[in-house]
Amino acid sequence: MAGKVIVCRCEDVTLDDLAHATSLGYAHIEEVKRYTGLGTGPCQGKECMVACALFLARTTGQPPSEGEPFTSRPPIAPVALGTLARDGGEGALPTGRGRGR
Amino acid sequence: MSAPRRPDCAVELDGEAVPAVAGEPVAVSLFAAGVRVLSHSAKYHRPRSFFCLSGHCGACLMRVDGEPNVRACRAPAREGLKVERQNAFPSGKLDLLAATDWLFPRGMDHHTMFTHPRPVNALMQKVVHQLGGLGRLPDRSDPPLGEVHGERVSVDVAIVGGGPAGLSAALACAGEGRRIALFDEGDRAGGSLLCHPAHGPDAGRALADRAAEAGVAIHEGASAFAWYPEDEGGLLAVDDRGTLTRVFARRFVYATGGFDVNALFADNDRPGIFAARAVGALLVRHRVLAGQRPLVLGDSPYAAALADALGAAGCEVTRVDGVSERAVAARGHAWVSALEIEGPAGLRRVKCDAVAVATTPAPASDLPRQHGVRVALSEAAGGFACVVDERGATSVPGVFACGDVCGYRGVDGARAHGEAVGRAVAASLDEER
Repeated sequence: MAGKVIVCRCEDVTLDDLAHATSLGYAHIEEVKRYTGLGTGPCQGKECMVACALFLARTTGQPPSEGEPFTSRPPIAPVALGTLARDGGEGALPTGRGRGR
Repeated sequence: MSAPRRPDCAVELDGEAVPAVAGEPVAVSLFAAGVRVLSHSAKYHRPRSFFCLSGHCGACLMRVDGEPNVRACRAPAREGLKVERQNAFPSGKLDLLAATDWLFPRGMDHHTMFTHPRPVNALMQKVVHQLGGLGRLPDRSDPPLGEVHGERVSVDVAIVGGGPAGLSAALACAGEGRRIALFDEGDRAGGSLLCHPAHGPDAGRALADRAAEAGVAIHEGASAFAWYPEDEGGLLAVDDRGTLTRVFARRFVYATGGFDVNALFADNDRPGIFAARAVGALLVRHRVLAGQRPLVLGDSPYAAALADALGAAGCEVTRVDGVSERAVAARGHAWVSALEIEGPAGLRRVKCDAVAVATTPAPASDLPRQHGVRVALSEAAGGFACVVDERGATSVPGVFACGDVCGYRGVDGARAHGEAVGRAVAASLDEER
């Protein structure tokens, strides 16, 4: 029995899972992320996003330069809610709505 | 290895005392004491140790001092520190939930699993809710908020990342009264210098000291975690050792380096398969050998330097370049015992007790991307690299990037690039006068 090739270790997403997702017609990295859960764990895609993007480029035959990352949203590193909540002195908390790519 | 490692305290792992060096990451203490499995993965409950040892990969989440999901590679050891494995049933040593890994050898598609008939679905939802998630709530809540407030930092130049690129940029930019703040997420600045056999912690310290003497405010243990464009014209949010710091600057420089990524082969997540820079950090910074018979996978200059240093430290090193020969599968369950290698001569099995994976680090462009910086994917760059001109200027006015985040270039290349970009940033400020 061949072992699992882990692409996203946080969410245990395998290379087979990526192939399964693309076989169902999901070809954009945001779709694959949502279908498989890749990149949604504690590391937020730091390790797996590139491997997924390159896999999609190979699978769809598109040049890698066409590849897109998925949206980067705050926070990119774990922050205690208490740290955010303690900023009571200067008015509102940061409210960023995660614009950007 | 000059000064050998001497444990001077003991941490407590699931109730058992484990010797440690005060201040070192507790993940290192546990590994050095022979503790192999630190965590179990979320879905298949596969055994895991640390991979990157730099706070990024999320493989070493443990309950530390009653707080869930702490990266054990970021938690400093101290006498009596309580460390517990989580996400395992009935215990961290024996995790029966690992059966899911065997039950679903081809993986599971949770979209179609147990959706019919309805009563089975309802039952499964209950079971899955018990299995899913990581950790339990903290033992105690934070103290009342009181009057503790966040900080505000307003500077001419804010630099994110204190590796060779960021520190060199800070040095090159410093002077003439320019106010420069540098934020590094590590407990000490130095970045990839700290895990390089030819450089090491002393070189990192020396560069950081020079920058500090030149007037750069260096914040260590300060993790820049978000760019909020809507707030006060745009602010960089930094978690500075638990204090929320809002950073405003005329110029931002991203010198965030690269994230370690694994190679793709069967059972590539087995404990003992480390990022090469983690093996380097163990050796150079913490005086711990990753193994007696390590295998170094990769053809980069760093892979060569690491293999040489491991050999000089008395290890029996095997090198596999990953190009003419590539890894196809790992052997061993709770710890790697061998790698199956495929090459022109066919398949061979190399016994080893640790693997150092030296792939090209992926540019850490997540924060610059929040800032709107254009990135481009290329295999040679290691991933989505910030697109910069010859001055290091990105697609966003006032925002610069240097070092590995613009495509992997290694310690020396990152240092040179940081210097050039630091000078360009200084020049761009002078033009405004």
